[in-house]
Formats: sequence, structure tokens, C-alpha cells
Amino acid sequence: MKEHDRTLVLLLAGGVGSRLNVLVKTRAKPAVPFGGIYRIIDFSLSNVMNSGLSQVGVLTQYKPLSLMRHLGTGDAWDFTGRTRGVKILPPRTGFKDSDWYKGTADAVRQNIDFIRSHPSKEIVILSGDHIYQMDLDDMLQFHRRKEADVTVAMMVVPMEQIHQFGTGIVNDEGRIVEWEEKPEVPRTDLASMGIYVFDTEYLLQLLADDRESTDFGMHFIPKAIERDNVFAYPFRGYWRDVGTIQAYWEANMDILRDDSGISPEEWGIRPNSEANGRSADWPPARFEAGSSVQGSMISAGCVIEGEVVNSVLSPGVRVGKNATIRDSIILQDCIIGEGVTIDLAILDKRVVVGKDATVGRGERNALINREYPKHLFTGITLVGKEAVLPPRLTVGRNCIILPGSSPKSFITVEVGAGETV
Amino acid sequence: MKKLKPRTLAMILAGGRVDELNVLTAYRPKSAVPFGGFARVIDFPLSNLMHSGLEQVAVLSQYRSYSLINHIGSGAAWDMLGRYRGVSILPPSKGYGHSDWYRGSADAVYQNLDFANYHDPEELLILSGDHIYSMDYQELIDYHREKDADLTIACLKVPMNTAHRFGVADIDDEDGVRGGRVVQYKEKPSKPRFNWASMTIMCFKPKALAEVLAINAREDDSFEFGRNIIPRMLHGKKRVYGFKFDGYWGYTRTIDEFWQANMDLLGVNPLIDLEDWGIRTNLEHRSIRDCQPLKIGNEAVIQDSLIYNGCKVEGTVERSIIFPGAHVKKGAVVRDSVLFFNNIIGRNSCINKVVSDVNVTVGDEVRIGEENDGDEKDVTVVGWNNLVPDQTVIGSDCTIYPTLTAEKFAHAIRSGEIVR
Repeated sequence: MKEHDRTLVLLLAGGVGSRLNVLVKTRAKPAVPFGGIYRIIDFSLSNVMNSGLSQVGVLTQYKPLSLMRHLGTGDAWDFTGRTRGVKILPPRTGFKDSDWYKGTADAVRQNIDFIRSHPSKEIVILSGDHIYQMDLDDMLQFHRRKEADVTVAMMVVPMEQIHQFGTGIVNDEGRIVEWEEKPEVPRTDLASMGIYVFDTEYLLQLLADDRESTDFGMHFIPKAIERDNVFAYPFRGYWRDVGTIQAYWEANMDILRDDSGISPEEWGIRPNSEANGRSADWPPARFEAGSSVQGSMISAGCVIEGEVVNSVLSPGVRVGKNATIRDSIILQDCIIGEGVTIDLAILDKRVVVGKDATVGRGERNALINREYPKHLFTGITLVGKEAVLPPRLTVGRNCIILPGSSPKSFITVEVGAGETV
Repeated sequence: MKKLKPRTLAMILAGGRVDELNVLTAYRPKSAVPFGGFARVIDFPLSNLMHSGLEQVAVLSQYRSYSLINHIGSGAAWDMLGRYRGVSILPPSKGYGHSDWYRGSADAVYQNLDFANYHDPEELLILSGDHIYSMDYQELIDYHREKDADLTIACLKVPMNTAHRFGVADIDDEDGVRGGRVVQYKEKPSKPRFNWASMTIMCFKPKALAEVLAINAREDDSFEFGRNIIPRMLHGKKRVYGFKFDGYWGYTRTIDEFWQANMDLLGVNPLIDLEDWGIRTNLEHRSIRDCQPLKIGNEAVIQDSLIYNGCKVEGTVERSIIFPGAHVKKGAVVRDSVLFFNNIIGRNSCINKVVSDVNVTVGDEVRIGEENDGDEKDVTVVGWNNLVPDQTVIGSDCTIYPTLTAEKFAHAIRSGEIVR
């Protein structure tokens, strides 16, 4: 048996990602489109594939439909074959009445039957929420070399962000000697990336010994470091938790720059282009005479007649004459009418913007969103899926246009900064 | 209820060695030549078949068919994978005694009649894999059934002064604009008197075809549908009908015609509308589905062009078609050109009216093709796997053979030259 056949991967894809606001209204965070043609989970799935691992369980919970459609048979990531496979593992009722996953460890505990039916030596647990490239095989080798029970992937993060993470203090040999979950007063800048390698027997024992605890970072790791072999696998490189609108926007913009360290194609990240259900393939992007595009990423199927600067366009976006798109992320099949201006905005799929409308008007440091002040405060305006904006409408900064809004949803032709429609 | 078992079997003639398209067919059949910024010529008939609901298909190929076999893959790209759906590639095989290679398009079908009989279709739709067009074959088949024809040929009216290049039919007015009985047929006549050109899309009654193929194999010394089979059908008093088509038909025998068909993809209302035609390709081939979106630099200028994912444009691109994997570096200008997969155009190089095959790397400050000074220039074609050194100068109307060594580019290559 090949070495890799003995490793099972559990991908936790149930995250709500509520700070992504309207982008997660109809889909889980891992299914949020990213970088033109990808979804966030493509990065984790491709890392698994490129590491030579091919037995995968994807644990879903929140709004899994678009995620399930996206995964399909798994053949986009080469997970089909006699010894390969990707299985969707939704919560099931059974032992108790309410069996929703209550945390990372609880989700794994509820799938012990899946773990037992796929005999493995190690289990890799990771989340589908992050943008990065990592060789999980290298981490597995590290885990074996150290004869660890658990290995946690960790990286240095800026001090001001450390309070969001599980943190560890590591000795000279890489052993984790102290652990603090989301510390208020941090003593280290080494953060857990939520990627674990467990010896399978050890994990099963751990879950059998403690039937109450629900979270790895919060409950199991702190206990494990006291008595068992817990090591930190050091990661260096680009890694982003795109869990906020600002972080999501920044990571998209990073792809536009050559020196930012993120490059999906070089990383071998695979999208699933078959999942859109179209009968034709997207033709090449079409640039009409008189168009102007700089510093941007444009996907196949786009038709550009206007101007696009510093923006990321998903497939099938149409930009009309004299329209201008700047510093924005436009998802699949949006139609941007003639003379429209879009500045610092994120448009979800199939948004239609009527002639001469403006999205993102005024000073960028305008009033923050009143309903979601913690989501929108940097000037970005969000337009939800399939919203139809009437001609000549003006939308200010930090605004939210809810999914499915129709021209009738707008009482006036002006949506002021910080408003929600 | 739709019957699961298909009534029509389609056979695509995809692999004859044709002396067309210059060096672009040096290593591949014409049907596998890239077209449309991401696809291949054969994707047009394959997509037509898919949209026509004809999903039991055989591809007859013999000339350097590797890239074609690779391209077709499992057939899943065109939904042709299932119990009653499939693409079978039929290369020549041993066992016929007289000649194991296909001696012509008709011989290719003749040698595979057992395959056709196995499927036992009501009609055999035989079509060329070499042309660019969008057609609902079901309309042709409906007409064929209505007329109880032995053979129905799709025909397009061409100007009388170009009719000598085609097999042409004289069609009567039996059904007006829809079609009529073929009363005469001439293959590439020197003095044409009628001008309904055969598009090499032929719907046969299998029995009538088998009869005529057997005579052809026994008695003739050439084995082509146009030259032999259609005349024999008429001669044998079979019911032969012409189905009149009036859409776009890209019949590209020369590099200039090929270039023009590419230019027909451009503009606000292009003659070839990939989206409207619903063209599908095999995105697995060359892994183009893994290409990231087109990346456009801060100083780039792109006008009236088609560019697929997986490219990077930092220079200027005008009226051009660019396939995945291209990199147009800073200061470079690409005009009126077609760049196949994985072309690199170096800094400050200038490319005018060039068709460049796959894996061509152009160095810095290179000039290929004279600039258009109001006098229309002819196309320069660059064969695959060439490395054009810095500061090379190549004129218009040149042919650069595939995989040349660097010393071939040491002197300026004047317009009209052929470098091999």
C-alpha cells in the first residue's frame, strides 16, 4: 500500500463566515467566489490534491448546496478513482435529537464511523476557509520525523492580529510547551492555522476519553501539550483568513500585484469550471474597440466596452460603454450598464446595474454602515446577489444592497453612505 | 418520449492529410488546428452535434492523430459519455487486405461499415471536421426523412467565380429556400454552371451508402465522397437532395482565409459568435481550465481583441486573438495577429499580421511582419516550437518552418521568404 493511502483528510467546511455579510447569505464561507474563477475552498482542496492525498471527507453544515454542487464528483481535484474519493459529510441525526456540529472536535467526533471505515495511520484536519499554498506532505513527514501525536501548523502573524488566533510557545525542538486560545495579552506571535495532523489511534483515544469537549484549539490541544507529543510545524508564506470584507477585498487585490506572494496558477490551484451548468464554455474575454483595462484580472466570458482599473472580474461580466470600474470585485454574470461608475465595491453574482448609476460615491472615509458597523467601515460597498439597480441610482460608501433587491426596493435615487437597502 | 437509443450515427472525417494551412498542419490534422482563442476547429462540428442532440459519434482519423485523440478525450466535454452517448475514434486498422491505410474519405467510411452496422442507425450523418460554422443538423435530418432521400447534402450558395474550388450542386426548386432535388453535381469544375457548394455534410440512408461504397471500392481508383460517391449516387438514380444553408461557413484552405476567419471573431457583432453558437471545447486538453484569469498590466492597451485565461498582457494588443499561456511583455505590440498556446512576445517587439503556432518565444526588439502602411500585407506564419532571437527582423508573407535553429534567424528574413 502506498504511504499516502494511509492518510485521511477531513476538511471542515461548515463555517458561516458571518462577517462576509451578504456574500454568505446563500452560501457557506468556503463556497464564496474568489480571484475571478475560484472559490475559497479550492485552495484547501488543491493543496490536498497537490500533496498527493486522495481520501477526503468534507464536513458541511451551513448552507451546503452551492458547496456540494461545486465539489461535484471531486474529479476537478482528481479525487475520483478506485482508492480516491471525496465524501460530503453533513450532520446527521442519530444518537441524540440535535446533532448539529458544535465545534471542530465535535464535527470530527460525529464522523467517527467515517474515520473507522477508512483505515488510516494519520488524519489531516484542515479548514476550507483560507487562501494559501502549503505542502501537507511535508507536514506529514515532519509529523513522522518528530514521532508526534499531534502536529499543528503555525505561522508568525502581526502582533496586533494575534488575539484572533490560538497561540503557542515553542521550544528549540519545535515542541509546543504552552498554549493560549485568543489571548488578550499575547506572549507570542506564533499563531495556529487550524491545520492539524493527528495519529489516528491517538485521535480516536482522545475523543473517547473526553466525550464533552467540542473544539480542538480550545479544549484538546491545551490538554494534549501537557502529557503528549505536540509539535508546531512552521509555515512561512502567504496565508490569509479572508473572513472579513476588508480582508477579502485586500486578498483579491493582492493577486493583481506581482510581488504580493499569491499566485493561484503557480500554486496549482484548480477551480471547478464545470460546476456552472452552462451548455457552452466561456469564450475568451472580448475587448471592444474603445475599451481600456489596466492593472486588472479579467476572466473568460467577459465583454468589456468601458474602462476597468485595478479590479477583479469573474466570468461573464459585461461592462458597457463609458462605464468605469475601479478597485472593485465583480462576480459572475454581472451586467454593468452604459455610463455606470463603480468605485470600491463588491458585486455578487448576476447583479444588474442600470445606465448611468453610481456605486461607491463620495469620500472613501465616509459614514460607516449603521446596521453592520463592524462589517463595513473601510469604504467598501456591497451589492448582494441578483440585485437590480435602477438607472441613475447613486449609492454611497459602506452601503449594503441586499440580495434580490429590485428597482422598487429603492425609494429615492440616492442611497447615502452607511445605509442598507 | 424521446427514444434513448439514437436514430442517427454521426461520423466525422477528421484526419486526412490535407495540403492546407501551410505549416500549421505539419504536425496535426486540420481539424485539430487551434481556433477561436481557446478551441480547435473540430469543436465546431462537435458542438453542433451536441446542440443537435446527436451524441453517438465516430471520428475517422489517420494523419498524425495524436493531438486529436488527446483533444477528444472521453467525449465528456461535449456530453458524449453515457450508455447511448459516446465518441469513438476510428483509426485505420489491419484486416481489409487491399490497403490498411484509408485511401480516401469514402474508403475510411467503407472500412468502418461494420462499426456503423453495429449501431444500426436510421441515418448516417457524415461530415467534415475541418470547417467553422454553426448548424442544427436536426433540420437537415428532418428534411432528409421528409423527402425519404437516400442522400441529403447541406449546400451553401457561393459566388460563381469561386465555385470552381468546391463540389457544386444544381438544386431544383422543389422546396424553395429549404432545398430541393439535386439534378447535377460537379466536383471542382473548371467552368462552373451552378454554385450550390457542398459543405461536406451528408446524410445517408445506410443501405444506399453501403451499396455505392462497395461499387466504389471494387471499380474506382479514387475514394472520395465528392469525386466518387455523390456522382455514383446520382448515376444510380438514388434520391439525392440538397438542403440549403445560408449562415456563416468558414472554409479555410489558405493561411489568408484562416487569418480572415479569425478576424471574423472580432467586432461588436462578429460573424462568428462563440457565445451564441455555444462552442464547447475540452478544457482538460492542455489543462486550460486550470488557467487563472487574464492578468493585465498597468500600462497595457487592449483594443478589439479576444484573449483567454492564462495570459498576461503588459504591452499593446490590437485586433488579435490570443490563446492561453501567452505573455505579451512591456512595450511589445501585437496587431492583426493570432497567437496559439504559450507564445511569449518579448519587450518592445512588434508583431504585425502573424499567425504564430504553439510554443513560440519571440525575444526582445523583434520585428515580424511589415507595418500596414495602407498597403494590405500578407500573413506571415510561424511554425511551432520556435525561439526567435532578440532583434530578429522578419517580413510579411513569410513562412517560418517549425523548430528552427537560431542561425536561421541570423539574417533579416525578407518578405515572401520561406525558411525551413
